[in-house]
Amino acid sequence: MSRYPSVSPRPELPEEFRFLCMLHNVGAINAERSLTVEEIVKWTDKEFFVIQKYLRKLEELGYVQSVEKDGLDKYHVSVMGIRKVLTLYS
Amino acid sequence: MKICLLSWEFPPRIVGGIARHVFGLAKALAKIENDVGVVTLDFPGAPDYEELEGFKVYRSKTEVGHPNFLTWAFLFNHFLEKQLAAANKDFDFDLIHIHDWLVAPAGIGFKHFLNKPLVCTMHSTEHGRSSLHGPDSYMIDGMEWWACFEPARVIVTSNSMKGEVCGHFHVQGEKVDVIPNAIEVEKYAIGVDRWEVRRRFGVGDNEKLVLCVGRLVPQKGIEYLIRAIPRVSWRFPEAKFVIVGEGWMRGHLEWLANQSGQRWRTNFTGFISDNDLVALTKSADVMVVPSVYEPFGIVALEGMAAGVPVVASQVGGLAEVVEHDKTGVYVYSRSPDSIAWGVERVLSDPGYRDWLVKNAYETVKSRFSWEAVARQTVEVYKRVLGEG
Repeated sequence: MSRYPSVSPRPELPEEFRFLCMLHNVGAINAERSLTVEEIVKWTDKEFFVIQKYLRKLEELGYVQSVEKDGLDKYHVSVMGIRKVLTLYS
Repeated sequence: MKICLLSWEFPPRIVGGIARHVFGLAKALAKIENDVGVVTLDFPGAPDYEELEGFKVYRSKTEVGHPNFLTWAFLFNHFLEKQLAAANKDFDFDLIHIHDWLVAPAGIGFKHFLNKPLVCTMHSTEHGRSSLHGPDSYMIDGMEWWACFEPARVIVTSNSMKGEVCGHFHVQGEKVDVIPNAIEVEKYAIGVDRWEVRRRFGVGDNEKLVLCVGRLVPQKGIEYLIRAIPRVSWRFPEAKFVIVGEGWMRGHLEWLANQSGQRWRTNFTGFISDNDLVALTKSADVMVVPSVYEPFGIVALEGMAAGVPVVASQVGGLAEVVEHDKTGVYVYSRSPDSIAWGVERVLSDPGYRDWLVKNAYETVKSRFSWEAVARQTVEVYKRVLGEG
């Protein structure tokens, strides 16, 4: 392991983080306002499988929570996720 | 005086320093017999309405959203206006005081519809935060100019910020008041089991705790602290680094720590509660504030109030809060070597450390009290209302 990183990539906003912001901005910030993957597709104009991939990763990191409502899996940004999003806007 | 404070963040919706600033100001204004209403955005678990320490809080729900940030911001301003109107029925406010551009549309609308004076505190600028880049950034810059143009008075927290506002937005200097941020020193006058707190954050009894608190975003300069870790650790192998905060750069910063081979001695805690933050700050051996842009730097005050020596970049408002070699140590911003030098300077000389801590505490207590800030703010309000 080198003492200093040899190459430091210019940090860019990760795609899944942009997606988290979108989910936050459309108002999916609590269980009552959680959305299905299909609804998120309509809001964000992204492909179904891409959204599933982002949601899996963000849920693992604790930034998104899922709930089961009316037999459907729905998703919303967690409190930790809201704090993460807001750091971008301040 | 009946005052409305309008802010997009207010505890528990804590993003940066604005939430703590608005809370401290509201409490202090109420204490000197003003009627204060805070209008803000909702947050999961927080009530729509509550009464806190002598003032009232109204939280607005944003019923309609949009994926685009700016569209969302204008939408929540619409709902804030509705909440403002409801709060105004209770109060009949004398004036409205907005905090940053994010709530400017609602505040400016309120000013014109109800013919009430407007005051704005500019906590930072887009130009300073990230330089101007792309259409959204230019639009935010325009909104910030508007948030300086419309109010009767503009408040900033440092002379550095006054220079930025007057220079970049061409605001007349006479229109701008400098009122520093403040801190509740009493909050830090609590007993803490230092060793238990350190262990909880992965720091052993014989190790040195180097603390950094801030949003994990470029302007906080945390990458330069991470780059300084190998050098500090060479001199102090027992050093451990605790980095508190959330932000979009977290993945990149963790990657940097991995690349330097020092990830094992670095703890990224994410967001922690206020109580934990106070306890952790009181348990640290040194606090580093490596910002590359900092209009004020309230985190330095927190370190000074907690009795921790502060090593800070000599930028913006930080250069007005910390006095080099008296209340803290200045280092060059964007310089890992300079940061390492500052940390080593403090850790290697306990007598010097105690001298800094003693001076810093006295300075915080005498210069940065909320009562003083509230009184200065009231003078600005009186001027705006023609009473000054």
